[in-house]
Amino acid sequence: MLAEVLTQLALVISILVPVSVVVFIGRERLARTRSEWRSRLRTAGPVIAVLIGVLLINRVARQTAPELSRQIGFRLSGAFYELEGEFILIFQSIQTPETTAYFSTIYVYGYTFLLIFPIIAYFTLPDTRIFRRLLTAYALNYAIGLVLYILVIAYGPRNLMPAELMERMLYNTNPQYQYLTGEVNTNTNVFPSLHTSLSATVATFAWKTRSEFPKWFPIAIVLAASVAISTMYLGIHWGLDVVAGTMLAAACVSLSDRLVDRWSVAELSEQFADRLPWPQNQE
Amino acid sequence: MNWVPTSPDTGISRRSFLAAGAAGATLATSGCVNSVRNVVGKSADGQLSLSITTIPADADRQGIQIARKLEANLQQVGIDVSIDMRSPSELLKAVLIEHDFDLYVGHHPAGYDPDFLYEMLHSSFASEAGWQNPFGFTNMVFDTLLEDQRRAAGAQRKRLVQSVLKALAKSKPFEPICQPDEYRVASTDRFDGWGEANLTTRHGYLELEPADDVSELLALKTDSRPTSNLNPLSATMRERDTMIRLLFDSLATVHEGEVQPWLAEDITWTDVEPADGEQGPTLTATVTLREGCQFHADERLAGEDEQLSDEDKRLTAEDVAFTYRFLEDTSLGRAPAPSPAPRYQSHVSAVDRVTVDSEYELTFSMNASRTVAKRALTVPILPKQFWRNLVDQRAKDGEFTASQGRWIAATGDHVPPIGSGPFQFESRTEGDQLVLTRFDDHFTLRDDVELPSSSVERLRFEIDPSSASSVRRIADSNADVTASMLDAYTLDAIPDSSDIEQLHHPSRTFYHIGFNVRNAPFSNTHFRRAVAQLIPKQAIVDDVFYGYATPTATPVTDEWVPERLAWDGEDPVTPFLGSNGELNVAAAKAAFETAGFRYDDNGRLLGGY
Repeated sequence: MLAEVLTQLALVISILVPVSVVVFIGRERLARTRSEWRSRLRTAGPVIAVLIGVLLINRVARQTAPELSRQIGFRLSGAFYELEGEFILIFQSIQTPETTAYFSTIYVYGYTFLLIFPIIAYFTLPDTRIFRRLLTAYALNYAIGLVLYILVIAYGPRNLMPAELMERMLYNTNPQYQYLTGEVNTNTNVFPSLHTSLSATVATFAWKTRSEFPKWFPIAIVLAASVAISTMYLGIHWGLDVVAGTMLAAACVSLSDRLVDRWSVAELSEQFADRLPWPQNQE
Repeated sequence: MNWVPTSPDTGISRRSFLAAGAAGATLATSGCVNSVRNVVGKSADGQLSLSITTIPADADRQGIQIARKLEANLQQVGIDVSIDMRSPSELLKAVLIEHDFDLYVGHHPAGYDPDFLYEMLHSSFASEAGWQNPFGFTNMVFDTLLEDQRRAAGAQRKRLVQSVLKALAKSKPFEPICQPDEYRVASTDRFDGWGEANLTTRHGYLELEPADDVSELLALKTDSRPTSNLNPLSATMRERDTMIRLLFDSLATVHEGEVQPWLAEDITWTDVEPADGEQGPTLTATVTLREGCQFHADERLAGEDEQLSDEDKRLTAEDVAFTYRFLEDTSLGRAPAPSPAPRYQSHVSAVDRVTVDSEYELTFSMNASRTVAKRALTVPILPKQFWRNLVDQRAKDGEFTASQGRWIAATGDHVPPIGSGPFQFESRTEGDQLVLTRFDDHFTLRDDVELPSSSVERLRFEIDPSSASSVRRIADSNADVTASMLDAYTLDAIPDSSDIEQLHHPSRTFYHIGFNVRNAPFSNTHFRRAVAQLIPKQAIVDDVFYGYATPTATPVTDEWVPERLAWDGEDPVTPFLGSNGELNVAAAKAAFETAGFRYDDNGRLLGGY
């Protein structure tokens, strides 16, 4: 089942990405990237390493974090429910089989595409800064998200209101997706919504780069808004998770501005070498 | 075998972490700290506030819906209610072990004989951690009735059990709601004979009829706990112990409601006249074990020479006697206070003494009638060598407390499931799957034994995310059967196809609301009764179970239900105060006032009384 879902996802992405590359990026940038990709990769290398590191830690933490979370985390499902009550049920008013299909598709495919495409697009920009900022912001989202997941134990609305959400719960209409999300996450990790925060991060960068990618900007905004709504519509997240996700995105985007270009690997290694206790040059 | 520990029992102490991170954490949760803590009490304005503990819909679609119906009704009568959601093992830990709850929604496995009520309700268990009396209920009249029904037989016992049930319906340490219909689905592709198979029993797994080239059963479970812990003593890792019954043998086994000899070749019962008064044993059972039975090979059974020999693996009367002694006190007398196991206490409390007569013969002195005594013979038999070593190691540093229901023997997930049962542990991936293989030395495979024996070599239990996805996998012939009971919402949607067979067995399990009667306000019987009248049982059966359940006023079924407690469209003792699931708020508030509670001017129920 998992393999089936993954294959489908890979297939969809492998169609969407090349099409978008042609539509949004343009031949000229691609040509230039072909000649400069080595140096761009070298500049961005450390950031890429950090992102991969964070993703790996996330993967490992999926095994160990739940236990730690049980010991130190705060159980907030009841509190969330008390605070916002049945807020997310307002989406009942737009519920049709078509909207359900739309939001399910957005939640799985739209979101994956939204995360992957800007990585490619920004790599084609001559100045790698925006590319590095995007990756830094991704890493920050995952890192801060992980810490919050450990501290907050909360189940999403679908676990509290299964009857009201029956017709549109992702896992009722498309139970196969649960194999995918089960691989990625546990059901107590809802605060904040990383779907929302990463999508909002992408949307913010799309706004910043609207002069470079004018056609991508409106698409990114619509996709990101749809992803945020889908998490509530499908009963996966509370409104509070989405609000927190949006705030996390703002924080990560602004932090990425401060962090990127703050240190250079060359300088760091020099400083580090200075502090080594043994003499540097033995003559 | 490689039963590798997933997590050591050392952990970061909650307290020390909290001290360090208190500032940030408090900031993050300011404003809702009150509802986070599980405290019975009053909010600042004197309103009574309660917390309902339940499990998420992912684990059980029904429990949370019952909790929310009750929550809505409690709120309508002016009580401040919050929902405390926990994973299944954490709910059981809070309720059974920590006794840290106000009220909870649970699904009790019940039993084929009503003597499980002895364990649930007897005062002597009120302070113990485990399945025994989690409510903290103490009542002399109950104790006497519960003890008397154990010694009585036939019509007399039935009368006594019914007296217990009538008293229970009045005083309500817990309130049964309904017995759910138990459905599973199976694919007819690779196996036959599903109609007979009751997958809540040993027999169910042994009676499967695979097609010629099929050597493995692929069963889907929605509960992942067995992939992380198969400790036979664990209270929190399972409600029903079907998996343990595959891995471990017991002297007798329950098949179609009857107790049959299993590991015992023969059981001879002798009535004993109590010497004076009614104390002392009333019955002895002379048990002859099947000879030559072995435990599954595991190096941890090896003796002092550390070489595993056939002698080490042999299951003898010593192991049986040890098991009963160990379940009664898991510290084996080495701790300052006895440490009863958090399970099987109604079983072992029926046994006064076990004497080993010879290698394969024992005598049980029972303080119960034959029916109840038979039930005592169904506990899993444990290898003495392994468990005694465990106690020895823990006790050798002198400061051994064996904290009851909490110490490693009763909770540890690194305890290997070494039994002698028809299947042995092969491998597991936590949260993913558990593989058991046929134990080829098991007595059921002997030619001269007329019991069903496994015709599959391997049982593979895969953890599936939900009932809905499990049904789909069976429909697609991607698995053989759903081992877990299906959630009610999937039942109407089971595809009507000749490739799918529905397995339906009457269930004795029951959903219930449990009250912590140790603390106010649930220490007050009148309050419990008033709350019970807020539970719309019929509406729950109709809306939450889609009709696939039977509303009930008792935790037992069929012939045990007294006429006066039979369901007649509403609860005969504490009927729902409303109609069609809608609460009559005025009547409900009046019930609380009659119970001695007061309201403030804003219609809030006051906590102090």
